[in-house]
Amino acid sequence: MKRVPCSGCSLLCDDIIVRSDGIFIDEVIGACIKGKEHFDQVIAKNRITNPTFRADHTLKKIDWNQAYIKAIELIKKAKKPLLYGFSTASCEAQLKGIQLAEKINGHIDSNSSICQGKIIEKSKSVGLTLTTIGEVINKVDLIILWGANPAESIPRLLNKALFSRGKFRMTGREIKTLIIIDPVQSASFGVMGVRDLSLLIEPNKDIDLIRVLKEECCATDSIPSEGVAGIDKDDLKRLLLHLTGAEYGVIVVGQGLLKPTGDSDTLQEFLELIEMINSRQKKGRISLIMMGGHYNMAGFDHVALANYGQSGSLNFINNQLEETETNTIDKMNNEDFDLSIIVGTDPISHLPANLSSKLMKHPIIVIDNKKSATGDVADLFLPSAITGIECGGLSYRLDHIPIELQKIIDSPNNIPSDEVILSEILKRLTDGGP
Amino acid sequence: MEFTLNTIRKVDNDQAREFAFGDDKSLKEKLAIVILNPEDIKQLNVKPGSIVKIYNDTGFVNVKIIQDKKVPLKMAMMPVSIWSNQLTRVINNDLVYKNIEIKIEADDEPILDYKSILQKIKEGS
Repeated sequence: MKRVPCSGCSLLCDDIIVRSDGIFIDEVIGACIKGKEHFDQVIAKNRITNPTFRADHTLKKIDWNQAYIKAIELIKKAKKPLLYGFSTASCEAQLKGIQLAEKINGHIDSNSSICQGKIIEKSKSVGLTLTTIGEVINKVDLIILWGANPAESIPRLLNKALFSRGKFRMTGREIKTLIIIDPVQSASFGVMGVRDLSLLIEPNKDIDLIRVLKEECCATDSIPSEGVAGIDKDDLKRLLLHLTGAEYGVIVVGQGLLKPTGDSDTLQEFLELIEMINSRQKKGRISLIMMGGHYNMAGFDHVALANYGQSGSLNFINNQLEETETNTIDKMNNEDFDLSIIVGTDPISHLPANLSSKLMKHPIIVIDNKKSATGDVADLFLPSAITGIECGGLSYRLDHIPIELQKIIDSPNNIPSDEVILSEILKRLTDGGP
Repeated sequence: MEFTLNTIRKVDNDQAREFAFGDDKSLKEKLAIVILNPEDIKQLNVKPGSIVKIYNDTGFVNVKIIQDKKVPLKMAMMPVSIWSNQLTRVINNDLVYKNIEIKIEADDEPILDYKSILQKIKEGS
C-alpha cells in the first residue's frame, strides 16, 4: 500500500491509497469518481500506446525514432508555431515546452489563459487575496461558490472545505455557512443546509450584484428595496452580512464568473470588491480560490512567471521573449500560426468550431496520454505517460501549493513522459538533425 | 423559441471519459444533448428524447432533448463538446461559452455523428 497524490484534477488529493506491485494497480482507495477514472485511464480500451503519423488521410503506427524525425520535419517547416495546452503536464514538461517555444520562435500558452489566468492577469492592477486548502480546513467559516459547481468538476473540494473539521473549526460543517451564487441549481446545491444561502442570480447579471455590493458593503441599511439581479432584498442583506462579518471567508471562483461579459469588466470589479471588503474588515478577511480544473493549470503560470517573468502568452521572436498583447485565441482566430503543438488538451472539442476549423487547416502535433478529437485529426500523435501514475513530476494545486507527483507503475510499451518527449525534440533540434 | 445557452461540465456527460472508455456511439449519446426545463419542452411541442435543431448566427446543431426541472425557464444547457461548440463563438478575442442567444425548434434531421461533425468542422461550414 502506498499513499500518493491523485492527478485526476487540480485538487491533487494527497490522501489516496494505492495497492500496486509496480506493474499493475490492484486497488485505489479514497479517490472520487474523477480520480478513479483517472487511474482507470492506464488500461483504458482506447489508449494509444504507439506514435502515429498521418499518411494518405489515415494515422499509421510508426516507431519513436521515426516519430521524432517527423516532429522535427514539421517544426522545421513552420515559421510561426503555436504551442498550447500544458495544463495536464508536469512543471518540468511545461518548462521544456517553453524552452522549445523559445528555440523555434513560437507562441506558447496554457489553458489557464482562457480560465483562471484571466484573474491572475487582472490581479496585476488590483491585487489578489489567495488562500490554501489547509487554511480553509482550519479557519473558514464562510464558503461562497460563485459560478462554480465543484460537486461535478472537483468532487472532493467540498469534502475538504465544507465537511472537514479544522484546528479552529472543530465543530466542522455546523460552523460553516455555504452560499452559492449561480443562475442554475447545480449539483453543488445538493449539500446545502438550512442556514446556507442559495442565490439564483439572473444570467449575466453578476456585474450588477458586484456593483451593488461595492456600493453597499459597509452600509447594510441602504440595500435597494427591489433587490438586484433576481436576488431579493433580504437575501442580499444576508449576503452582505456574511461577506462583511465572516472571520475567514473564501470565494471559490468558477467559469460562471470568468465568462466574458461584453463591455463590463466583471473580474476587475469583482477583485476590487474583495479588496474593498478586506480593507474595511476589522476582524476577518475574504480570500479566493480559483477553480481551474486541469491538475497543473496553476503550474504553467508559476513556471512561466518564475523563468520568463510573464505568466502566460509567451511569444518568442529571434529566440527572445517579445512583449505582446496577443493571446492564443487571437493567434488562432487571425490564423497567425502555421503549426500547432498541442500538449495534454483537446482544443478541437473545447473551442468554438470556427477556431477548430482554423486549427485543422495547419499541421497539428499532439502529445497526450489519451485519445481526443484533436488527436484524431492530428498529423502526428505522440502518446505520453500519465503523470502522477506512470511518471513523477511537480504540479501546483488549485491553491498554488506545489505537490510532488509520484510514479507508481511503468507505462505500457515504455511510453515516455511529456517531459522526455519535449526534451528529445529540443535535443534533436539543438543538435541540428532530425 | 428563443433561449439562452450555457455550456457546462457534468460528471455523467464527460467527453474525456467517452474518448477513453467509450466509442463514437456513446460519445454522441452522452454529449449531443440539450437539457431543458419540462415547461419549455412542452412549449416546443416536443418530448424528452426528441431531436431539436439549435441555431444562432454562429452555426447550428441537432441534439437530443433531456429534461431537468432544475434548469431555469428559457435556459438551455449543453455539456462542453464538439456539438455544443457549433454554437459557441469568439467575440473581441474572448471565448463566449455562456449566455449565448440561441433558437430551438423541433426537427426531424438526425444528429450528426462524431466523424461527420469533425468533417463539418474541417470543411469550415
